[in-house]
Amino acid sequence: MRTKENTMHKIFHVFLTIMLASFTWLGSSGAAEGPLTLDLASSTIQISTFYNGTTLDVSGTVPADMDVVLQVSGPKKDVHLKEKGKVAGFLWMNKTDISLENTPAVYMVYTPNGPTKNFIGRNLGIGYKALVKDITIIPESADKDFIFGEYVKLMEESGVYAIHEGTISYGQVANETKTFKATLTIPSKMSAGAYTVEALAVQNGAVLGQARKNLDLELSGLPKTIANLAYHHSLMFGFMAVFIAIAVGLFIGIIFKGGGGAH
Amino acid sequence: MIYMYLPIAGNSVNIFLILGLGGFVGLLSGIFGVGGGFLMTPLLMMFGIPPTVAAASDSNQIVGASTSGTLAHMRLGNVDIPMGVMLLIGGVAGGTVGVQIIKLLKAMGNADFLIAITYVIMLGGVGGYMFWESLQGLKKDKNKSGSDEESAATSETTKKSFLQKLPLQYKFVKSGCEVSMILPFLVGILVGILAAIMGVGGGFIMVPVMVYLLRMPMHVVVGTSLFQILFTCINVTVMQAYSNKTVDFILAVLLLLGSTIGAQVGTAVSKRLKADQLKIMLASLVLLVCAKMTAGLLMTPAIMVALKGGH
Repeated sequence: MRTKENTMHKIFHVFLTIMLASFTWLGSSGAAEGPLTLDLASSTIQISTFYNGTTLDVSGTVPADMDVVLQVSGPKKDVHLKEKGKVAGFLWMNKTDISLENTPAVYMVYTPNGPTKNFIGRNLGIGYKALVKDITIIPESADKDFIFGEYVKLMEESGVYAIHEGTISYGQVANETKTFKATLTIPSKMSAGAYTVEALAVQNGAVLGQARKNLDLELSGLPKTIANLAYHHSLMFGFMAVFIAIAVGLFIGIIFKGGGGAH
Repeated sequence: MIYMYLPIAGNSVNIFLILGLGGFVGLLSGIFGVGGGFLMTPLLMMFGIPPTVAAASDSNQIVGASTSGTLAHMRLGNVDIPMGVMLLIGGVAGGTVGVQIIKLLKAMGNADFLIAITYVIMLGGVGGYMFWESLQGLKKDKNKSGSDEESAATSETTKKSFLQKLPLQYKFVKSGCEVSMILPFLVGILVGILAAIMGVGGGFIMVPVMVYLLRMPMHVVVGTSLFQILFTCINVTVMQAYSNKTVDFILAVLLLLGSTIGAQVGTAVSKRLKADQLKIMLASLVLLVCAKMTAGLLMTPAIMVALKGGH
């Protein structure tokens, strides 16, 4: 019994060592040390008073014989949905409860020019069909591909889910690497939170390396103050909103009376 | 600097679009003495504001718009305070109930549907009635002018006998009528619930009820309605902000900058135009919004899922 236990321990140890070693190796080959690099013009985007979405310039290098695909994704959450159905045979309304667990709030893919199948697919782990694999649907009996497909349509309306094909351009080749650049679209519906931008080196239907950068969206200025008041001091916020509305109403009323425009 | 970010709605809006929308709805409210929320909320929904945020923020902006209106009418002696207070007590009770209903429905994911269906019914009913009534007025106008009082007088006797049986009869001096205090209280409750659910001040229900049921003079109706709407919407705004956190103050301020100015212009315009012509235009607009909402309920949706709980 004892020898058997020892043998199991040894095997487990060897297994663990190999796992750790391979992780370290993968890490070093995938990150900035290799020829694949990624730079963001800014790692933080401020959502200030007059914000209406923005763009973010991204650049980097990739081995000359490979392609690069960019993936922007962020905070994974459980999404609670209502599937629409007919009520009384003719009225469309929100009917069945469905949850999509582990779904990113934002998912955008940017590809260079070329056939879509080279850059997007379940085998590459890129695109909606790859994304749906990581998502759990509740109830399990629901049609996951259909519901997620409809959810994608909903998200695409506000631009937080998007496939931007042919939007990465390449520069000169030097030392067997080439430069790439792209302009990411940051839609106004993309809310404050922590996101990641990934550059994936792609060749012959396989991802051969990846580089990753963090991207933070933060509320600042007036939106930050308002959100803070609304969520953390909601009663005071309600009174403040009413008070200011009354003040503006009185002010406009007085101005117009002074101008002789009123009754 | 054309767009502004709405932190509660979680989206950006074109400043001029929202100012214009506020101005347009304020103009109509200045002419007819209604809050204008019955148009504002569906229009905001069309511009991509989540319905619950649209309704709550609109209540906030009505506070501003009705403040300036009430002020002007108070100076002219057009506010029947006892009547307004009774409507108000009912309105506050109704508003509190309405906010709780919304909260419950939000948890159930039914809030959007309820708002939509309430709209269709109210817009259809009020729009249809107003259209018919103003059409009668326009026809009559060709024969003789200013005969509004006579039309209602025929059914007066039947109404009076029922209303006089109610307890707590009270003489409302400025309104020139003697009715039970329970009546404005019940009207207030109904309007308060609708105000909370739909984000409207209830003026478009309140005004016809005061004219046709309570038989109050038109100018007192407008002033008293605005007085009541002001306080009802103060209550609804605070409750929505506290319970549901759906008041987007930036949206509300943009709207009320437009609507307070629009209301003042509307008041001036209304004096120069025939009421029935304007009423029939408003009725058409209300019916158009109603038709749009109905189509939305009847047509197969392009997307078969919706986010739960008012986004």
